[in-house]
Order: sequence, then C-alpha cells, then structure tokens
Amino acid sequence: MQTDIEKAERFTIPIGPQHPALKEPGHFSLTVDGEIVTGATVRLGYAHRGIEKGIESRNWVQSLYMLERICGICSHIHATAYALGVEALAGVQAPPRAQAIRELVAELERIHSHLLWIGVAAHEAGFDTLFMYSWRDRETVMDILEGLTGNRVNYSANLLGGVKIDVDDAQRDAILRGLDFLEGRTRHYLDVVTTDATFLQRTRGVGIMTRQQAELLGAVGPTARASGVERDVRVDAPYAAYADFPVNLVTSTAGDLEARFVVRVQELFECYRVIRVILDHLPAGELTARMPRRIKEGEAISRVEAPRGELFYFLKSNGTDTPERIKVRTPTICNLTSVIKLAVGHQLADVPMILAGIDPCFSCNDRAVIVRRDGAAQGWTWEQLRQYGIETYARRNS
Amino acid sequence: MIGDVTTSLFRRPATELYPFERREAPERLRGLLAWDRTNCTGCGLCAKDCPALAIQMHVIDKAAKRFVMSYQVDQCTFCAQCVHSCNKGCLSMTGEYELAGISRPAFRLYFGDPADVEIVRSGQPLGEEIECDEEGNPAQ
Amino acid sequence: MLDAIRSILALLVFPGGLFLLILGLLYEWIDRKLMAQYQNRIGPRWFQPLADAFKLLAKEEIVPEGMNPTLFVGLPIFGLAGCLTAALYVPMFGLPPAHSFPGDLIVTLYLLSLLTMCMGLAGANGLGRFSLVGATRTLTQLFSYEAPFLLALLGPALVAGSWQISEIAAYATPRWLILTQPIGFVVAVIGLMGKLELPPFDAPEAETEIVAGALTEYSGRGLALFRLGKGAEMVIGLTLIAAFYLGGVANPLFFLLKTLGLLLIVAGLQSLFARLRIDQVVGLWWRYGVLLVLAQWLITIVVEGVA
Repeated sequence: MQTDIEKAERFTIPIGPQHPALKEPGHFSLTVDGEIVTGATVRLGYAHRGIEKGIESRNWVQSLYMLERICGICSHIHATAYALGVEALAGVQAPPRAQAIRELVAELERIHSHLLWIGVAAHEAGFDTLFMYSWRDRETVMDILEGLTGNRVNYSANLLGGVKIDVDDAQRDAILRGLDFLEGRTRHYLDVVTTDATFLQRTRGVGIMTRQQAELLGAVGPTARASGVERDVRVDAPYAAYADFPVNLVTSTAGDLEARFVVRVQELFECYRVIRVILDHLPAGELTARMPRRIKEGEAISRVEAPRGELFYFLKSNGTDTPERIKVRTPTICNLTSVIKLAVGHQLADVPMILAGIDPCFSCNDRAVIVRRDGAAQGWTWEQLRQYGIETYARRNS
Repeated sequence: MIGDVTTSLFRRPATELYPFERREAPERLRGLLAWDRTNCTGCGLCAKDCPALAIQMHVIDKAAKRFVMSYQVDQCTFCAQCVHSCNKGCLSMTGEYELAGISRPAFRLYFGDPADVEIVRSGQPLGEEIECDEEGNPAQ
Repeated sequence: MLDAIRSILALLVFPGGLFLLILGLLYEWIDRKLMAQYQNRIGPRWFQPLADAFKLLAKEEIVPEGMNPTLFVGLPIFGLAGCLTAALYVPMFGLPPAHSFPGDLIVTLYLLSLLTMCMGLAGANGLGRFSLVGATRTLTQLFSYEAPFLLALLGPALVAGSWQISEIAAYATPRWLILTQPIGFVVAVIGLMGKLELPPFDAPEAETEIVAGALTEYSGRGLALFRLGKGAEMVIGLTLIAAFYLGGVANPLFFLLKTLGLLLIVAGLQSLFARLRIDQVVGLWWRYGVLLVLAQWLITIVVEGVA
C-alpha cells in the first residue's frame, strides 16, 4: 500500500502538449516532490508534418519552399542549407553577391530570432513588460525584412543557384537606420538582463551546465556557447559569404541562464556589426547562377548555423529532378536532452525558464525515425505512415 | 526598466489601429499574383515549379498563343518562385494583401482573354499540352 | 424593520453588493488599461471585464471528476460573500461605513482572506496537478504576506488608538500618515499586491508554469464569481490603504482620486518586475517584510512615547 510520502514523491506534472509555457506542442512529464523536480521525460512528435516524405514527390525547386516552412523563425537558414547542398551536388557555385545577400538575410533573421526569444523567455519568467518591449522593437527588423524580401516571415529570398532579391541604396539606408535604432535598444536590454534584480533572481545560477556536461549531452548553438563550448559553424566551417565577412565567436563560461541571455544579446551586437560590414562591401555581380533541372547523382552534406545552433542537412540525389532523400537534423533536438538532465533538482518554477533557455523550436525537430534491428530495409508509403500513426495513438490512448 | 516604464505613460501606444490606420505596403511585398500575357509561350514552368500547385496552364490554341492561367489564391504561398521560373518575365507579385474571403469558389482566379476563360470554365476539352525544354522555350 | 431593510440594501446594492461589483469591474479595467499603457500598447475597451463576467456567467460549468460538487459550487459563492461582507465596514466610495464596531479592522481583513482561502481550498479540492500545486502556492503565499500586511495596516491603528476602521479613518483624515509611516505604507502597498496575487506575486496563478493555478478547473459561473471577488477585493484593499495612509477618503471625489492614484502606482509596480518564485516570495516576506514593518512599529512607538 502506498504511503502518503511515496505518493507525494511520484506526483507527476504534465507540461504540454497544451500548456501556456509552450509556444508549440511538446510533452514534458515532470515528477515533483513538493516544488522540487525529481525526474523529467520528454515526448515529441506533435508537430510532425511529414516534410521529409513530402519532398520525395516534389522537384528540387518545389522542395526549397517545403523545407523553408519547417520552421517560421529559422526559415531562411533552412532554405540556405538546402540551396547550398543542392548547389554542392550540382557542382554550381552561387555568385559572390548572392552569397553575401544570403548571409545578410541570415543575420537579419538571427536578429529577429534572438529578439523574439528575449521576449518569450521574459514571458516565461513572468516579466511581461520586457516581452512587450522586445517584441515592439522586433517589429523594426521585421519591417526591414519585409521591405527587403517581400514578406515578414518565410522570406523566400533563396533560389537554387542564388537569391531573388537585390539590395539597392534605398534598402541599404533603411537597413542601416533600423540597425541603429535596434543597437540602442539592445544595449538597454543587455543592461536589463544583467542588472534587473528580480530577473537575475530567476536566471542567475539557474540551470547551470558545465562545459563537460554540454559536450557530453551534445548541446549546440548559444546554449553550448554559454557553457564555454567554442563551436560555431560560421567560424569553424564558413559557408555562404562567412569567409569574406566573418563573425566573432561569442562565449561565456558561467553556463547558467543568465549566461545564455548574455550570449544571445552579444550575438545580436555581432549581427549588427557584420551586417554593416556586408552593406559596405557588397560585391558586385549577378544574383543567380544557372542551375540544371536534373541534379547529378550523389550525396552532399550541408552544415549551417541556425539561430539555435548547428543545422545539418544530408541530401541524396539519384539523377532525376526529384530529390531521393533529404535528412534534416535541427539544433533543438540536440539541446532537449540538456533540459531533461538539468531540470532535475530545480524548482518547478525554473523548468519553463530552463526550457526557454535553449530556445526550443518544436516544429523544427519533429522527425519520424524507425530503428530497424533485423537488417531488412523497408520503404514506407504515405498511407502506411498515416496508418501507423493512427494505430500508435489509438494504442496509447486506450 | 523604470525609465522605460514611466516614459511609456506619456507615449502613444505602439499599436497601429488597423483598419483605421493602414500602412502602405512596401514596394516588394509579395501579394496577389499578376500575369502579363504578352510574352507568354505557355510553357508551364510556373505551374511545374509552384510548390503549392496553385497555378495551372490551360492551352486553348498553342499556335495562336491562346492560354488561360487558373490561379488558386488560397493555395498560393506567395513565394514568388513562379515569377523567377518564368524566363519571359510574365509574372509579378502585386502589393495586394487584403485577400481574406468567405467563399471558396471566389479564390479561383482565371487570367486570360474572357472568351478563352469561358471555354476553360465550361470544361470543354482543350488543345494539347506543350512540352518545354529547360530554358522555357516550347519544343517545336 | 427599516434597519433590516437598510442593512440588506447596504449589503446587496450600495455600498456593497452590486455597486461594489461594478466598481470592481471598473477598477479591473483601469488596472489593465494602465498596465497596457506602461507596456506601450492599447489594452482592452471599457466594457471588457463586464463582457468577460457576462460571458462566464452564461457558459456551462463543468464539475471535474474527483471534485466534491458541493464544495466546487459552494466555495466561489462563499468567497465572494466574504468579500462583499468585508465592504460593509470600509468607508466605501467616501461615505462612512455601513456598519462599525470595535475590532472590525481584524474582521475585515479576515473576511478578505476568506476569499484567498476559498480559492486555495477550491484548488486543493480536485485531482488536477495544476490545481494542487496552485492551491499549495496560494496558501503558502497567504501565510507569508498576511502577518506583515496586517501589521502594516495596524500601524495607523496604533497611532489612532483604536481597532475600528471608522475611527482610524477619522483620525487619519486630516493627517497624511504616509509621511510619518512611510515604511508601513510601502509594506502595505506591496502586501496588497501579494494579497491580490498581482505580478510579481502571481506565482500561485503563474500562467507559464501551472496554467491557472488553483482556478484551473473552474469555468462558467464559479470562475466568474471568483473573478468578481478579486475585483471587489482590489477596491476594498485600495480603499483601506487610501483611508489610512493617504489622508482619509472624506468624500467620493477624494475616494476616486486617491484610490486611482494608488492604482497607478500598483500598476507601475506590476509592470516593473519579473515573477518571483514561491520560495523567493516567502523569503522576501519573512525576511524583509516582517523586519521592515516591525522597524516601523518600533519607530512609531518610540516617537509616540517621546511625544
């Protein structure tokens, strides 16, 4: 017979899939003892849309737009990774001006993503004022992107072989003006994040991840860089125009939530600097290179630095105008294990903050993986996958 | 923070009261698609490359260059790939973004000569499909 | 007979009851509008809280499994009733209290706590995880701010030499006790924010952690009654502090000016801080809250003794 103490220890709090703490569906099952978390598990799959299966029946050009819509906040970087991969397969180099514009839009997207994240993390801490202010300022960068590319989200700036959009003087002035405004505001946010007493009470010393832990758990992106791991794909393996317009690595050694805030805000400053350099030295030339409709047979790997960390694409072509296989590995899935490990021992109120600290993007990381141990390979059709999903959830809910 | 908060008391809110305050759409906004028939060869690359399968080219008479384009606004993702796929520059995105509607049929637009559009709408069998090479030039 | 009718009218229509509920909705709107202004946005229109109340009253009330139905339905009524009764002893709207007897300050404060306790019990009633955690937090927070808040309101009682609200208000009317007891005023305002579960003390109903805390399982009429109770509690709390520290509420105009001025400050404090964790709340109150208010008492007693 369970005593009351045993019952109290096995008190499970479900966070998600519908929960105000989550902006996207995911399920965290926290075992708590009073207010202290004693165990955590995660279940994903609620935002799976079968994009990797869908591109197998669309041509290379159409797949660009499908992959761009894996995520709303990092859509450009997905498209860039894919475009770079296809260009590598086809042996085509996009012209320097196109690469520079790709980097420009990627850095603008990083600004957008980090400002959004500051707001969301502040909202998780109950600091709604900072949330409102940072999202108001984020409107500036969204207006810049709308003026530059034609849309606030899903910029569709990439083409296979180059970019669609050009930067003329009017655009350049608008971008620089917006950046000046944002830089002032970012300085203010850095100040708030490092000196506001109530905010520091929620972030300093919370969710500490040592460098060894970060490397063991495979954390990537600003989450890992806040623990002192010096890894940034833009610096280690420059793609697009990062060889010509490099960024500096931003790290911190504290490893707690405050460090993650500081790292992302410092990255914002780096973004502003790099964009100004690009605009000053934009190489002249064409915007696109000629791409064949049928891509040569082969395999290619494309690694880029999304706002959340390292984004990895594997592309396989069989010589036709349809991709054979594209595998996407997003950064959030690397960082989620760190959330589960770090949550143990913290208060219940800290868990949404720790989750927000890795900048989770659940729609990015839902993939279907089937592990076969018997060596027999198998292909699944849409209908089979759908049926499997229906049966699994019927079994789970019964 | 306290400076921000106190000055906010005296500032105008940042919210724009749409639809009373309408901001002008930026020049490059990817709004509703527009088709200029003048140079169209009916190659259909725009339809082939559309990720949302929102465009269909109907060929009434290849030689006389009578084409009708049917465009599903509610399928369109406004990505502008069709604009770049077209080698003759026939397509462009306008600045029209207020596209909400309450009836499905209204979202299917037909571009072309009105008589030709009637032919397509009435469902009569049409001329043959045109094969194109990679440049977008119709194979002869 | 006439007395009984007058009492019933005072309880149900004016200054308690209907009038208090409407004033509560009005103050809720002003609070939300001020928060919005501080956050540089527009905020709701004037009829939003009223519309919310009507909508909730019209919705179906679902009694979750495992909850005692009598308690489920009865606790909101009980809490709101306690709150409305508390208004009888307070100089509502600048008019003298409807009833008054020695010691009614303590009775009023405990009637206000009745609302909080009913919310805590409502959460503890059920099986839902979020309700249980929210109930624990509500009651924990109740035990933290109750003592300093009471002591802060007793500071003016000390100098007035009475525990009767009408007498304290009469004493405080020509004198602005905020000048002689500033620390007590600060503790009282922050205590009020804790009592009303306003940010930064909204850990019991932390939206991003436990959905809605103790009230998660409530919908329809029960939720409407609790929310009306919270609005009324805000009005009563502001009235008490304005009457004691801000030179009394001698007439309706002063009442409105002073309580709305206090609301301006309270809304500003709401927007300035991040949410405090429940252990930080307890630590804050039992370390700083109690010490500050005791220091204020010490100063007051010494000054009184010397004078």
